[in-house]
Formats: sequence, C-alpha cells, structure tokens
Amino acid sequence: MVDMSKKKWRSFREFLYILPFILIVLIFSYYPLYGWVYAFFDYKPPQALTPDKFVGLKWFKYMVENPVKVKQILQVLRNTFAISGLSLLFSWFPMIFAVFLNEIKCVPFKKFVQTVTTIPNFISWVLVFSIAYSVLNSTGVVNTILMNCHLIDRPIDFLKSTEHIYFKQWLWLTWKNAGWAAIMYIAAITGIDEQMIEAAKVDGASRMQIIRHITIPSILPTYFVIVMLNLANFLTNGMEQFYVFQNSFNKDYIQVLDLYVYNLAMGSGGYSLSVAVSILKSIVSIILLTLTNGFSKLVRGEGFI
Amino acid sequence: MKKRVVAMLLSLTLVAASLAGCGKTTDSGSNAGTQTSTEKKDDGGAAASSSSDETLVVEVYDEAANYQGTQTGWFAKVVKDRFNIELNIIAPQVAGDAVYQTRTATGNLGDIVVLDPTHFSDCVQAGLIKDITAEYANASNLKEFDRQITTYNSGLPGNTDGKIYGIPCEMTNTSPTAFSDDVIYSSPMLRWDLYSGVGAPDIADLDGLLDVIKQIQDANPTNEAGDPAYGFSLWPDWDNNDGMIGIANVVQLTTWYGEKIKGSAILTADDKFVPLTDKNATYYKMLKFLYKANQMGLVDPDSGSQNWDAACAKMSAGQVYTFWYSWQVGFWNTQERLADGKGMIFIPVKDQNYYTTSDSYYGSGRLFGVGSGVEGEKLDRIMKFLDWYASPEGCTFQHNGIEGFNYEIIDGKFSILNDNALMDNLPVPEEYGGAGYSDGNNAINQWIVSAISTNPNTGEPYGNTHWSSWKKATATKTKNEWSARFGVAEPVDWMKANNALLVRPSVSVSLPSDDADITVIRNQVGQEVKDASWRMIFAKSDAEFDSMWDEMVENLNSLGFDQLYKFDVDKYTIELEAMQAAK
Repeated sequence: MVDMSKKKWRSFREFLYILPFILIVLIFSYYPLYGWVYAFFDYKPPQALTPDKFVGLKWFKYMVENPVKVKQILQVLRNTFAISGLSLLFSWFPMIFAVFLNEIKCVPFKKFVQTVTTIPNFISWVLVFSIAYSVLNSTGVVNTILMNCHLIDRPIDFLKSTEHIYFKQWLWLTWKNAGWAAIMYIAAITGIDEQMIEAAKVDGASRMQIIRHITIPSILPTYFVIVMLNLANFLTNGMEQFYVFQNSFNKDYIQVLDLYVYNLAMGSGGYSLSVAVSILKSIVSIILLTLTNGFSKLVRGEGFI
Repeated sequence: MKKRVVAMLLSLTLVAASLAGCGKTTDSGSNAGTQTSTEKKDDGGAAASSSSDETLVVEVYDEAANYQGTQTGWFAKVVKDRFNIELNIIAPQVAGDAVYQTRTATGNLGDIVVLDPTHFSDCVQAGLIKDITAEYANASNLKEFDRQITTYNSGLPGNTDGKIYGIPCEMTNTSPTAFSDDVIYSSPMLRWDLYSGVGAPDIADLDGLLDVIKQIQDANPTNEAGDPAYGFSLWPDWDNNDGMIGIANVVQLTTWYGEKIKGSAILTADDKFVPLTDKNATYYKMLKFLYKANQMGLVDPDSGSQNWDAACAKMSAGQVYTFWYSWQVGFWNTQERLADGKGMIFIPVKDQNYYTTSDSYYGSGRLFGVGSGVEGEKLDRIMKFLDWYASPEGCTFQHNGIEGFNYEIIDGKFSILNDNALMDNLPVPEEYGGAGYSDGNNAINQWIVSAISTNPNTGEPYGNTHWSSWKKATATKTKNEWSARFGVAEPVDWMKANNALLVRPSVSVSLPSDDADITVIRNQVGQEVKDASWRMIFAKSDAEFDSMWDEMVENLNSLGFDQLYKFDVDKYTIELEAMQAAK
C-alpha cells in the first residue's frame, strides 16, 4: 500500500517534469489551431466573427472555382515542389561539406572556413537581398565588370530574369545555410570512435577510403533523420527569401505556398482565404509525413515517429 | 533529490518566462491603458487647461506615419512644453498591416487614431472610435472648420443624429472649388537646361515627348558623375496601394489625359466610368507609352526591381530626366540649380488635359479620431492637443518649423531660413530641443489643416513655396527663361490659359468598404494587373505587348473583374454625383 502510493507519487512527479513542455506545446501548437475557424467565415477586421458570417466551405471551393484559379494554385505548388525538391536533391551537400571540412588539418584555416560559412546564417534575408541588389543591378559590380571586359554590351537584368531561377534561389539558400547545417554533421563526425579510424590506418586505408568506409557510413543515420524531418516540411520553404527576391517578372516562378498565403492575407486582407490555403497545407504536410514514415518502415524496418 | 528540485524549478521558470514573453507582446496596448487610468484625477478646473503635473503618454495609431516609437527632438519638446504629453506613434507602414487586425481585435486601436476613410468608418461601426460631440463643441480652432467636419460626420453610415467622430485631415480654409496651387500633382517635367539644349521644341503629343526625351538622353547618356542616366526610372513599391489597381506610376500618368483611376474603373473627363481593361482608355495608353519608351532605351533597366529609396537616390544624382510627381522636384531643385537654369520644370504637351482635384477643402480622405477607451481628464487633454494641432500656432510648427531656425518674420511676412533643414537633417539648437531637424520633425506626418490654407497671421498660405519672399528668391534663370518661353508665370497659369486643366471639386462622402469577397478579388486582380503591366513595359515587341494584355484581361475575367468593376462603379458614382453637385 505504502509502496503503491510511493510509486504513484513518483510517476506524478515525473509527470510534473514534462508538464511544462506539454503546456508549451498546447499553448504554441494547439491553441493557434483555433484560428482555423476564420476559414469558415467571411472575416474582415475590425468586425468580430458572428454566426451570420458563417459560410461553410466557400473559401475552399473558391480556390478551385475556375481554370485560372486552379492554374494559380498549381503554379504555386509547382514552385514549392521544385524548390523543396531541389534542396532535397542536394541535401547531401552540407554533409559532404562537413566531411571535407573535417579533413582540413590546418586548424586556423579550418576555423576560418567554418566561421565564414556559418556567418551568413545570421544575416537576415532583407540584408541578403540588399547585397544581391547592389551586386546584381544594372550598374552593380557584376554588370560593371562584364561591361568593362566587353563581354556584354547591355547590362544583364539578373534580378528580373527567370532563367535557372530555382537553382539560383537554391544557391542563395545554400550560401546562407550550408555552414550552419554542417554543424550537426561535424558533431556527428566527432562522435565517431577514434579506434576505428586508427585501425583502418594501421590496415593501410587511404584518406578517401576512411571517408568512404568509416566517416560517411557513421553519419548516415544523422543524415536520414534530417532528410525525413525536411520531407515533413516539404511544403514549408519559408517566405522571407522569396518575399525579398520576388518581383513582377519572376513571381510566376518564385511564389511558393508560404509566400502565396502571405501575399493573399497581407496584400489587402484576404484573411479567410489565406487561412483556408494554410489548412490545406497542414493537411498535405500530415499526409507527406505519414507517407515518409511508412516508407521508412518499409525500407529500414523502423519508423521515425 | 536536490537535483530534481533544481530541475523542476528550472522547468517552471522556463514556462513562466515563455508565458511572460507571450503576454508582453499581446498586452502592450492594455498596459498603457492601465498606466494612464491609474493616473490620479485632476481637479478638472480651468487651471489644468494647458498642462498637467503628470506626463501623459498618448498612443497614436497612425496610418500616415513612416516612423514608429516615441516622438523625439524639437517637435516632442513643443508638445511636451504645452501639454506635458508624449506621443507614442504606432505605424502600420512600419509594423505591417497585421497590426491593424490585432489591435482592432483587442478593442483598443490607440488613444488618437489617424485612419484611411474606409478603416475609419469600419471602426466607428465597430465601436472603436469615441463620440467627441461634447468636447468638439468647445474646440474653438477645430470649429473654424465646422462646415467640413459636420459634413463628413453626418455622412457616416448609421450616424443619423449627427454625432462627431472624425476630423478630416488636410482641410483648407479656401473653398471647395478653388485651386490655389501653382503646380499640380502630376505633369511631365524635364530639366530646363537639357530641354533648351535640344532647342526647346513644341511638343504635340506623347510620341513628341518621347522624341525630346530621346534627344536629351542621347546628348547626355550619363550624369555629371558619369553614371548612366535614363529618361524614366520607375519603382514598384507603391503598386496596388490605397485601393489603386496597377502600377502606381502608370496610374499617376493617366491623369495627364483628364482621367482618374478609381480602383478597377477609370473616371473619364466627361464623367463616365470605363473599365481599367478598356483598350481605348488611358491605362493601356500610358502603359504603351512606357513600353515605347523602353523600346527606345529610355527606361532604367532596374525599374521593377529597385525600391523607392534606390529610385530617389537616382533622382538626387541627376540620373533621371523625366519627373511626373510634383514632390520629385524636392530631390533635385535646389535654389542653386534653379539659378543655374538646371531646375526640373513642367513642359507642356499640347494634346494633354491635366487632371487635378481642387484644394482639399473637405480634407484629403484620412481622418483623426479618438479611441473609444479614452475617458475623463485624458480625453480633455487629448482634445486640447488636437484643437491646438489645428490652430495657427500648431500649423506653423507643423508646416514651417521653428521661428528663428526655419523662418524669420519680416514686416509680418515669413521668410525662409535654412531651407535644407529637412533634406540635410540640420542640427537643431539645444534651446529648441536639439537633435537633427528631420529626426525631430512631426512624426504624425499628417495635418488637420493643409499647407495651402491661409495663415491668418500673415495672410499667406502656410506652405513656404507660396510665400511672396520665396517667389522672389526663386525667380531665377530656370523660372525666368521658362516664363519667357511659355508666356506665363506658373505652370498652372499655362494650363488654365490653354484650357488644359480639369479641376475636380473637393467633396466629402463616405464610401462603402469592401466586403470579404471584394477584398479577395481586389487583391488578386491587383496582383495580376501589376505583374502583367510590368512585363508589358519590358515586352520585346508590339505583338508580345498585345498578347500579354489580352492574356491579362482573360485572367482578370476569371478572377472576378466584372464583379469588382460593378462594385467600384457603384461606389465611386456616389463620389461623382457629389462632385457634380458641388460644381
């Protein structure tokens, strides 16, 4: 009897440990879901929601009412998938970067490279764009050099062009994020058992062989976890990058889902429709997460949720 | 055991901290509310009329402001000395439009609000604006504008017993049909020396204008510093603002032919509405004009991707040869350049008919109001401040600055000092509040009384460009040669003499606001028109230009353009009828 209550008290106490985090999740992840009600009303600030403004699924239907609107949604989805797909395709890049960084034997140089590649992560997209603008505008550094070398006779409109735009956006993203993303892999590499590497050296393995047979296989689990987390966020590219780079010339190719929602709501207050779009986004994300989890179970024998 | 207690305490602190952080951001408005409501009540006697013992922090929700935070510098000192009030400006232009939605949801927009007309009437209906009828009755300076203020308020939907809620901005004490300015908001302006340099030819139409600009650009491919210069440099920041649809720069150019874009509709010179998408109307015409300009190499290739700041920097550096907003000259025309004949000035195009609105007698549209939560002594002090804001003393501070620093009085007339105070942010002497002049300038950035109004103390308008002393000082080479060439003293005189000025009277009507459906349609239509228009300016050929236009019109029809057009015609017919009645 005494034991039981002691046990109960103990589990209650342990429950108390996680209670704060449960509360945080409830407040920041579940309470905002209440905002979804706006998708089912004709909402316009400053008037509060009243029952007579209930419109059911009107805003969901609105998205697919006619071919032009469907085209718009498909365009936005295409951009989202292309940009997310590209980052997924190149998601090994930070890992390889970390592996090679780790091979640099000159410590000051290694630290220097790591610092220089990590710093862009802390620069806001607004500043990144002002850098891009001053470098790439018609009288910017790049055009001035090209003109002075007589390689071109008219300035190139880099910021307006839509050529290779997904790739260019990926480059900006990588420039900003690669160093930061590599930190996780560097940590994983530090965790590799030194004895394995030393044993391989004794056996006469070359540097490339060590990388191929020891380093990479050891950090692959980390890589897979990160890839799967990214997959669940497939529809979330973040809007800041595309918000600052968008203009009337490239918008058809750069407007991703998050930016579309922002443009709809903040452009001039289409709150209900933008909430409806983001609900759909959440649903698709849940489906994607479930699919990847199922896929993981099939391939690796274990899920990650 | 000890460790566990520590862990528990830590996690509790974490929660407490995160909750506190969350509370702070959402409750800042009500914090200020409690702070002021706990202030001890004054005896309410006349002794407390101008200032009070305790400093009052007034939140100003201000859709006109470009600055967010507490007013500082010389204007803060002016207000503090007189009312012991500190102004805390909340600027949706800085903080983002979402702040409107969140603040209206909490029921407290601000102590003083400066709102666009549709927001204002929405807020009155939602009970967010205070009925100030009783306080207004004692506001002698505001009462000077009684006709305008009562006309506006009696037009508010649902306000049948004529209560006073809003005070229009930029009212004048002239008349609803008068036009007192010497220049209009939008007209073609060229550099006088360059225009003279190509022979100062007569310009018959838009093609003629492009020819002249082409000659100017060919003769001067760069500015004096050697940077490339262009006939036109456009910027996209303002597109789709203020309920306009399309590229803001193009929308402005349409007024050269007597037409005015009202949302999705165009009001023609003969009082008819046509859709924006009409190929015979001016939006198409002016878009084609810019397309032709680009074909001739006259458009800055950065137009469309540069921001307003970048465009202004080019204006100041002399990299732009055509201006079309009257404020643009502020970036170029210094007294020295005017004297050298290098000033930007209106160049007439024969077939044009310039549109302008008359003096904003009934106000420009925006409104001042008081938040519904403001009570008692605080309300009295705020009303006293607003009354002063409309007084000759208040207007002189807002429009002219500080006596002895910005102007001096000679024989009862004002004469300017330090005319670059704002442009160069000149340091203000410590006795007036210190800091830079521009930094300390009135951050509310909106006036109850327009600068064109007559200052009863001088008999001249408040705005310094209308002072006799200013006219005398600027009657130099640019102006004199221009007058000799066109035979009149001022641009507006030429327009009047040549029957090329269409003045729409100032009216005060309350227009219906967009419902949820129209809001979405307007947004999507606006984005489509804007994006297509920019691509059309940079189209490769006439055929591409026209196919882009047709595709745009087709897309607009699917996005509900007809519904929007019908809504806008109904909406602006109310305004048109009031204009016709005012003539």
